[in-house]
Amino acid sequence: MKQIGRSIFYGILIILAALQLLPLVWLLFFSLKNNQEVFNTPLFSLPSPPRWENYVKVWVEGDIGRYFFNSVWITTVSVLFTVLLASFATFAITRMNWKLKHIVLGLFMVGLMIPVHSTLIPLFSFFMKVKLIDHPLSIILTNIGFNLPITIMVLLGFYQSLPRELEESAVMDGCSVHRMFFRIILPMTTPVMVTTTIINMIYNWNEFVFVNTFISSDEFKTLTVGIQNFIGQYTTDWGAIGATLMISVLPILLVFFFLSDKIVEGITAGAIKG
Amino acid sequence: MFKKAYSLLCIAVLVVALALTGCSSSTKEGASSETGSKDKKVTITFMHLWTAGSSKQHNMIVNDIIKEFEKQNPNVTVKQEILENEQYKNKLKVLAASNELPDVGMTWAAGFLEPYVKGNLFAPLDDVLDSGLKDQFVSGTTEAYAVNNKTYALPLELNITPVYYNKEIFGKYHLDVPKTYEDFKNVVQTLVKNGVAPIALGNKDRWTGSMWYMYLADRIGGADTLKNAINGSGTFEDPSLIKAAEEIQNLVKMKAFIKGFNGLSNDEAKAEFTNEKAAMYLMGTWDLPQFTTNEDIPKEFRNKVGFFKFPVVEGGKGNIDSWVGGPGVGLFVSENSKAKEEAKKFVKFFIEKWGEQSVTKAGVIPATKVDTSNINLPQMYIDVLNELNKASNITLFADVQMNPEAAQTHLNLIQSLFGEGVTPKDFAKQHQEVLSKTQ
Amino acid sequence: MSFLSNTKGVDSMNKMMSDKRVITLYILPSLLLIMILVYIPIVMTGYYSLMKWDGIGSMKFIALDNYQELIKDTMFWKSVYHSFLLAVFSVISLAGYLIISLVLSGKIKGANLLRKIYLIPMLLSSVAIAQLWLRIYHPSNGMLNHFLMFLGMEDPPNWLADPSIALYAIFVPIIWQYAGFYILIYYAALKNIPSSIIEAAIIDGANPWQLAYKIKLPLIAGVIKVTIVLAVVGSLKYFDLIYVMTGGGPNGASEVIASYMYQKAFRSFNFGYGSTIAFALLLLCVIATWVIRKFTHSDEEIQY
Repeated sequence: MKQIGRSIFYGILIILAALQLLPLVWLLFFSLKNNQEVFNTPLFSLPSPPRWENYVKVWVEGDIGRYFFNSVWITTVSVLFTVLLASFATFAITRMNWKLKHIVLGLFMVGLMIPVHSTLIPLFSFFMKVKLIDHPLSIILTNIGFNLPITIMVLLGFYQSLPRELEESAVMDGCSVHRMFFRIILPMTTPVMVTTTIINMIYNWNEFVFVNTFISSDEFKTLTVGIQNFIGQYTTDWGAIGATLMISVLPILLVFFFLSDKIVEGITAGAIKG
Repeated sequence: MFKKAYSLLCIAVLVVALALTGCSSSTKEGASSETGSKDKKVTITFMHLWTAGSSKQHNMIVNDIIKEFEKQNPNVTVKQEILENEQYKNKLKVLAASNELPDVGMTWAAGFLEPYVKGNLFAPLDDVLDSGLKDQFVSGTTEAYAVNNKTYALPLELNITPVYYNKEIFGKYHLDVPKTYEDFKNVVQTLVKNGVAPIALGNKDRWTGSMWYMYLADRIGGADTLKNAINGSGTFEDPSLIKAAEEIQNLVKMKAFIKGFNGLSNDEAKAEFTNEKAAMYLMGTWDLPQFTTNEDIPKEFRNKVGFFKFPVVEGGKGNIDSWVGGPGVGLFVSENSKAKEEAKKFVKFFIEKWGEQSVTKAGVIPATKVDTSNINLPQMYIDVLNELNKASNITLFADVQMNPEAAQTHLNLIQSLFGEGVTPKDFAKQHQEVLSKTQ
Repeated sequence: MSFLSNTKGVDSMNKMMSDKRVITLYILPSLLLIMILVYIPIVMTGYYSLMKWDGIGSMKFIALDNYQELIKDTMFWKSVYHSFLLAVFSVISLAGYLIISLVLSGKIKGANLLRKIYLIPMLLSSVAIAQLWLRIYHPSNGMLNHFLMFLGMEDPPNWLADPSIALYAIFVPIIWQYAGFYILIYYAALKNIPSSIIEAAIIDGANPWQLAYKIKLPLIAGVIKVTIVLAVVGSLKYFDLIYVMTGGGPNGASEVIASYMYQKAFRSFNFGYGSTIAFALLLLCVIATWVIRKFTHSDEEIQY
């Protein structure tokens, strides 16, 4: 009986996994088709001949290399700062004693609630005033600002469940707050930090509304403009868009699979200690 | 814990709000005065939507023109920013709100351009027109960019919208090109009977359905009824405009349009036509390359495509040489540009050079006159250009004619009309309401 | 003796954890960023919402006229209803993700790989997701209708063109897209439970159901509350796929608050009214969050 239940569960999990894997397969096939085939052939069919030239076109005409570089460094910097600043803030809100912390937490939460499009005009004039228009810092700052609330929210649940005794014993050992934070709290929260890193990475990597609005020079644009490159006034080159999407998802896929293993490592390490 | 947070939050927001508004109003001045440099090096920013990926030929011409211009004007550098349609419109909006428009950019006619003109953001270009450019334009094309008799942009394209059809499918069922609307309905009926989808229509985009409605309005009520209804001198509740709406719903009931058309984009609908699953497709002449020179589409198919003029309705006031169409994008110069003279010079240069090359190199029919006698073009282009010369009237796309607010209502109503979500009477009534409200 | 040193420890800890300078240092950078980047736009949105403004020309102060219009605007309320419906479905789907995560976090072979695979749709940008589902829902040669016709259905539905089902059809990809996101969070939370607690429960004879229901769920209650808030707020301001896949149509059948706001502000050039919608959306989110917090409120905060 137990065996059967287990295999049913297992079967469901694997079917789900297959469903979640299909989009990637589809995208690969999609990127090898031209417009005619995109609309006329079944979703999961390999066109003959596969049009690898889409990738050549994207790389050569799309000048993807530079955008790629920008995406990488802007995402990296944004993610690092977001996760670190959010960890600081969450620590202060959940573990330290002060009167205004509920209000401050509320202020952060409201940050989740504003629709992106109504921020564009005010932010543009703000960056105009501080001379950051067409400067990568405008993108990094907005990336951090708009992802801080969700990052803090995710961290919150984890920080709240950390045992108090941990801090007590640290204090008894003569730790300072900073030392406690960096030596004890941060390592303890590695799994959730990795989780938020992944979430932030995905958001920043795919962000395009702010980039389009605040950046006008090609030298600071990111990969998402590569997609735009193939949307025309009246027609769109879907195969090339597929190839761009494929190229842009690969690095994040690799990083993700690598980072996920870090989670497991962190957990096993924690388990041994515990 | 969170209860408290929220009860106190509102107060906090208010306090911050007051503080911030206080700050922002005091720092408004003093940003833009130091860049009026004395040396003659001038940079013109030029924002357009012809990306190197999807509009390769357009993009190449643009680059050539810029290079040539910079050579003739060594003190001027032209800096491009290219965005795709949707993003372009959004960015233009944000830039306008902050009074930071590019020196030269692209705009659409009439309703789109009006708010920018009223906000004093576009410079009048009549001086450019009067310096010899006027005669080069096809007559009437610059009017769409005029507000109070001043012209604020100069068009780059001119399009009309024929009905493309698949000659092979027509041949198979012994169908002739319909001359009257009755013929047309017979064609539809025959195709439906034989299990062929008559018309490819992607009405998720809504302007696509609007063209069908406009033609029926034109053929039933004549060229001026719709125009007058939109500019306020007539009414949208004119019987002919209601009748046109009824005819649309009749076509829907006859299953004239492909399955699920209200959920399909124009791209998806076009694919039904190019994959020979639908027999007809009403679209602008900007799609001509797809049916003539585009190598991505099989040659056998391209050879099967013909076009016809929207048939006349018996007893209607419209005439077969009246078209739906008009100029597409045009170039504007920012009123607040620091290099206005150079920008105007660039626009003039661009219009002239573009007119010389756009048809032959990019397949775009320019708004300037094209001499067909000494250039080599596919036959379909020649036919279209001849039709353009014969045209008795070109009615500008309704959503372009109207101001943005009315245009959105119009487009939504079009989708409802096709989806039988609104009666023809209400369709007209709601149009009239929004048009008189936003006049 | 031990009692004495313990209170002393707590005392000095309380003192240390109340150090104003440290608190300022930890909070201020984030708070400043939020104040500038989020609250300036919020305040400006509130300000614009009192104006008649096309976003280009001059503004005209009209006090609360926009809000009066909003209250009477049936399309707005329709979009509010749609957004709340999405929020409800998103929250219900959380239960499913939670079950999957519980199973995964048990000792299952390949759980790590499965979990990674579940996140894949989330990695793809909305452009890709939209294109995929447009092909699935295509009325004549879409995968879904091919399948239905294979099963013998003669006239399969026009998923995205039929006003009565378009909204629900579009909910599916939205909810599906975020599956990996919540599984990722739940999984991390479950894995964070010290194994000693679970082993102790097993020794006490808890079966897997009891283990999940009595031990694991209470321990991650904080995380669950957070995800409910995230799901509700995320749904209320959802925009991407709806805009690409239906544009809010047909006949406004899939219009949500954010898409309606976008249409008014950027397409109808009615920036004042668009800001009013945005501000109303903000208020709705605040109210919804407050209600959720009230309902899930519990005094004791559980620690391991």
